Amino acid sequence: MSIHAALVKTEGQKISLENAKKFIYSGDHGAESIFIGRVRNENSGKKVTAVTYDAHDQAVIKSFQLICNEAKNKFDNNAKIFLEHATGYAPVGEISILIAVGSGHRDEVFKICRYILEEVKHRSPIWKKEHYADGKEEWLPGHSLRPKKEIK
Amino acid sequence: MEIKIKLHGSSKMLSESETLLIKLPENSNIGQLRNSLKKLINEKYSKNNLSNLSNSAAFFSEKNEIINDNYKLKNKELISIIPPIGGG
Repeated sequence: MSIHAALVKTEGQKISLENAKKFIYSGDHGAESIFIGRVRNENSGKKVTAVTYDAHDQAVIKSFQLICNEAKNKFDNNAKIFLEHATGYAPVGEISILIAVGSGHRDEVFKICRYILEEVKHRSPIWKKEHYADGKEEWLPGHSLRPKKEIK
Repeated sequence: MEIKIKLHGSSKMLSESETLLIKLPENSNIGQLRNSLKKLINEKYSKNNLSNLSNSAAFFSEKNEIINDNYKLKNKELISIIPPIGGG
């Protein structure tokens, strides 16, 4: 198995860097790259205390598998990829996404990591609601999946 | 006919429940569902910053595939509304 893709519910679970490192390790690999996205304490001048992540679970897992396979086909079929994203309430500092890649060489691991991150942001049905220090909250705008020719 | 919409992201502001029931004329399609949603938002949720939701959202079938505006809905069908996404 060379791809691990999952959603991690923040109630009771955490995304594990150690699990990611173990998963991608291989004696065949000369390079590893790990990207960690975390909940930030500020956005557009507003003080953020937490983010709630919502997801269409089945469609997200399907998109993760597809994106990771595309990345392997595009850059290195022998790469090992670990991809997890949080769902639920995540306070500032919590890991929201972790992408770990092991491959033969550095160029491939950087490219695979970047490819997966950008594709997840544009294709995986995940939403963010920010919670602010003043008690307000807001769903963030995003990228529409509606077929472009239909949007008015 | 009656359609059940599974709510995600900002569309969760449309109901306390996980789903929203919408009544439509027989043989309606996704385009007509968009119009009903637009009307509902204008009438009841105009202060919730959802004015563009009916235009920008995609819809998924139960097979988790995007369905276009010509897709004919079936009575009691469960579909998902997919507002603009942005994880990571």
